[in-house]
Amino acid sequence: MTLLECKNLTKLYGKHTAISDINLQIDSGHIIGLLGPNGSGKTTLIKLITGLLSPTSGTVYVKEEPIGPASKSMISYLPDHTYLNKSARVQDIIDFFADFYEDFDSLRAFDMMAKLQINPRQKLKTLSKGTHEKVQLILVMSRHASLYILDEPLAGVDPAARDYILDTILSNYDENASILISTHLISDIENILDEVIFIQDGTLHTHALVDELREQDHKSIDTIFREVFKC
Amino acid sequence: MLKKLIKYEWKDTRRLLLPINLAIIALTLVGCAMLSTSIFDSKEALIFSIPLLLLYVLSIMAFSSVTIIYIYVRFYKNLYTAEGYLMHTLPVTPMQLFHSKLIVGCCWFGLNSLLTTLSVMALGFAAGFHQASINMNFDTVNLNLDPSISFADIFGYPLPTFLLWMLALLVLGAFSSILMGYVSVLLGQQMERNKLAASIAFYFGIYMVIQVITSVAMMVLEFIALNDTANESFTATMSDTFRMVLPLMGIIYFAVGIVFYIICRLLMNRKVNLD
Repeated sequence: MTLLECKNLTKLYGKHTAISDINLQIDSGHIIGLLGPNGSGKTTLIKLITGLLSPTSGTVYVKEEPIGPASKSMISYLPDHTYLNKSARVQDIIDFFADFYEDFDSLRAFDMMAKLQINPRQKLKTLSKGTHEKVQLILVMSRHASLYILDEPLAGVDPAARDYILDTILSNYDENASILISTHLISDIENILDEVIFIQDGTLHTHALVDELREQDHKSIDTIFREVFKC
Repeated sequence: MLKKLIKYEWKDTRRLLLPINLAIIALTLVGCAMLSTSIFDSKEALIFSIPLLLLYVLSIMAFSSVTIIYIYVRFYKNLYTAEGYLMHTLPVTPMQLFHSKLIVGCCWFGLNSLLTTLSVMALGFAAGFHQASINMNFDTVNLNLDPSISFADIFGYPLPTFLLWMLALLVLGAFSSILMGYVSVLLGQQMERNKLAASIAFYFGIYMVIQVITSVAMMVLEFIALNDTANESFTATMSDTFRMVLPLMGIIYFAVGIVFYIICRLLMNRKVNLD
């Protein structure tokens, strides 16, 4: 069954076209890189899939469900910024996720928090920005979701934290699930990707298997990206 | 899911609103205790009693204002800023999100209004009781009213019915006041830019329109009441006024609340567009 399907998806902001007529299909069990320069429409596309934006035209289906409570229960989404109530304790947020997501694994979350020596009694505002972001990642990856959508999870973090984030993603996602990961740091994630989607000026430039693309051009994805989006 | 949303909404809002309501109770108890003593009996005590009374009035007004503003800000912040990324990706419907905030908001605002009313009544009663006990003659606080005149002769309804009217108005008032803030936030969200500023402008615009409509309706009714009761006694005029004003306020609050609710429903069901 197709996991995610976008049909003729368009999003306009006044006269500005953020996303134009995107048709996309993603199956289960893949790690897909959503790649494109700043302002190309990656985050807009992600927000349309998660239901945070309404399309001007077109439709999005997750396992044949239109965007709504059913589709949202299948998607585990990490935004590109902090979004949790900073006055809440880590424990409260874990309880919140466990209450609303049937697929949330509290034990896994507590285990990952313990490895990072995060006290569940701590308030989020007492954590550093980096630790706060790790807490968010742990919450998102503690779900047994069908589709993980991670918006720029590697942006602005040091190489050690980058390794931790990639390790957390790879060691926690369900193999029957898919991960859609948006990033600029292609060289860091190139080796884990099965597919790539290039977005350029709100349109779908390329959607291909990583191995096919490499064999076809005899270049790394990073190099292909730099050539496609050369300024 | 609605129950869970209400549970978390209650948990998050009680951090500020519970202390505020406890402060009203504490202020009332302290006020009643002070009014039961003789410290304000002398004329010299006016130097203290007037600022204290002013402080009490300002505190009560501040508590009410903070309560309603916090409920509006919470609605905006929790649904339309960074926190909205969590709330709008939960497996719930937009109306479940809305109802959880409406129910909890009405409860807090209703509780605040009830405590404020009871506080004012308690202080008034304490002061009156103290004054009567000084004179040792409870008949003197009878305002020289004819003993044959009942509560209903002055307030239009027997005491239990009057209290029920007050309770109904308190609930309807909370319902329409909360919805007025929510509808303003939702209308502001329809703008392309400056959504928060637009919400505030909508709030004051709607507030002014409601005030004008209510004032005109009240003036017309007062005019009718005065004409009809031109030759009647003061108590009869009072009674007729209450019998007209209370149902009218109830109808206005209810009608306004329903209109706001329908608008909110339409706007909430239009898909969200978070920046």
